[in-house]
Amino acid sequence: MRKIFHFFHSVRVVSLLVLTLLFAGQAQAATMVDIYGPGQNQIKLSMASPLTAPGQRATALGAELNDAIVADLNFLPFMQLIPSSAVLGGTVLSAWQGADVDFRRFQIAGADLLVTAHWPSGDRENSTVELRVFETYSGKFVFGNAYSGVTHAEVPNVADRFCDDLMAALTGARGFFSSSLAFVKGNGRKRDVWVVRATGRDLRQVTNIPGAAMSPSWSPDGRYVVFSHIDDSTHALGVWDRLSNTVKRVRFPGNTVIGPCFLPDNRVAVSLSTGHYPDIFLLNRQFQRERPLEQSSAINVSPSFDATGTKMAFTSSRLGSPQVFLKDFSTGTVSRVSMDGSYNSEPCISPDGTLIAYTKATPSGFRIFVHDMVTGTDQQISFGPGRDEQPAFAPDSYFVAFTSTRSGSSQIYLTTRHGGEAKHVPTGPGNASFPSWGK
Amino acid sequence: MKSLKSFGLVMVLALALGMGAGCAKKNAEVENVEPAPVASSSSAIDAAAQQITDGVVYFDFDKYDIKAEYRDMLQQKAELMKQYPSIRVRIEGNCDARGTQEYNLALGERRARAAYEYMIRLGVPAEQLDIISYGKERPAVEGTGEAVWAKNRRDDFNVIAR
Repeated sequence: MRKIFHFFHSVRVVSLLVLTLLFAGQAQAATMVDIYGPGQNQIKLSMASPLTAPGQRATALGAELNDAIVADLNFLPFMQLIPSSAVLGGTVLSAWQGADVDFRRFQIAGADLLVTAHWPSGDRENSTVELRVFETYSGKFVFGNAYSGVTHAEVPNVADRFCDDLMAALTGARGFFSSSLAFVKGNGRKRDVWVVRATGRDLRQVTNIPGAAMSPSWSPDGRYVVFSHIDDSTHALGVWDRLSNTVKRVRFPGNTVIGPCFLPDNRVAVSLSTGHYPDIFLLNRQFQRERPLEQSSAINVSPSFDATGTKMAFTSSRLGSPQVFLKDFSTGTVSRVSMDGSYNSEPCISPDGTLIAYTKATPSGFRIFVHDMVTGTDQQISFGPGRDEQPAFAPDSYFVAFTSTRSGSSQIYLTTRHGGEAKHVPTGPGNASFPSWGK
Repeated sequence: MKSLKSFGLVMVLALALGMGAGCAKKNAEVENVEPAPVASSSSAIDAAAQQITDGVVYFDFDKYDIKAEYRDMLQQKAELMKQYPSIRVRIEGNCDARGTQEYNLALGERRARAAYEYMIRLGVPAEQLDIISYGKERPAVEGTGEAVWAKNRRDDFNVIAR
């Protein structure tokens, strides 16, 4: 009944041993939250105090892990955490599973779910923790995992892994807590590509070259980040190869390289200008120009592709002002997406192909909107203050990262396709912009 | 046009002198003539370079057409560049801070290319011209408001060789 998984982290490999805890007669719960549909409901969750024995709180790694899980769950807009002070009788339990768990105090506090943590051999370095999730009203077991070899350094990874499993159990969508963002950081004319976990962990710089990086895009296979790079005299396609940890600049005739974006097959589309207007070209796997994807007597920039690669959203000035368009490669047709307003740009199509997020100029500044391609309606999902721009759909088609100056400087935030409360992604000192998701 | 005529006269005289002096000297004299189109002091080139740099072309919001008021200025730059073929100019297209970055890079490219194509039509060899778009990366004036934005929607003419 037990399975052993190896857990691969998107930035560095972590080898934690994870045991899935299953209980006879206790099946996995069905999806509890429909994060994709309208009227997404809220889940209220309470954390029991971590225990080393019945009634014995785990105060070392146990406390750290509970804090890390709470920090992670705060990124989920559909999750409402019940503070321990709201639980009458406290959160220290006499059991971590079974009939001895006092679910009633958590029911009274309004919690739908309860998380228990048990450290059977204490919560010292290199110990094991069992994490379990129950429905408070039925006492039903939702899922559980045991993690061995837990150290201080691994606590955040255990929290991420557990929260990824929890989100998958509740919503059916997995990957947010193990995903990474490539983004641009720096000031003035020196800006480089950095990567960070969506939760703000594992921040690191991956390029360090004179000039300004823009528009990073992470290859679906995770190997490359491409970006446009501008120094005093040239535009180039920057290519960071994660395998060799090297960066190269690829020049093109016309000296214009704007907004590269990977297709699902790991090829790149980018706007180049070779005497005609900036048009969108497909590059081959050696990053050389192969053929045009979209040409017209107007500016064509900012391509974005769905997971099938048959739909491309882009910005074009063919009607005068910048507007968002959609090209369907299966029919060759181009249709206008943004109907309202005089300045709509930076489209990002959701991998599931149902929504296009884009930046609209409104009377109060740039804001992020999503266009629903099924209903044809548009919904505002960011509300400032300041300037909100550069939306990027996560691989789960649920989260949307974007850049905002709401705190003064340019920083990266997360919201959802429904416009959930925006959460800041910590990226350290310096301006941060152009978020792009990797897996 | 005047400078072109005098350049042609120098060429004709030089070739005539070369042929008259006999075959033994022909190659050397022709070689001497070609790289020196006009006798010009470095201060004259510097003055030309300064004149090319000084004139900035400004644009309307989200536009890249060269307004009529700048055509004389571009013609003067073109004449100077034809007069001094060693001068190379990078036309740098810029935008104000209001637009989004990728679209602004494209708009800056259109602005730089509009001036580039006009100067090519005026006879400036393509080898003397480069273009680049900085989008809204390099404002001439910091701040907000139309007076500031108007100063940033521009083509700069940067002399990179003389």
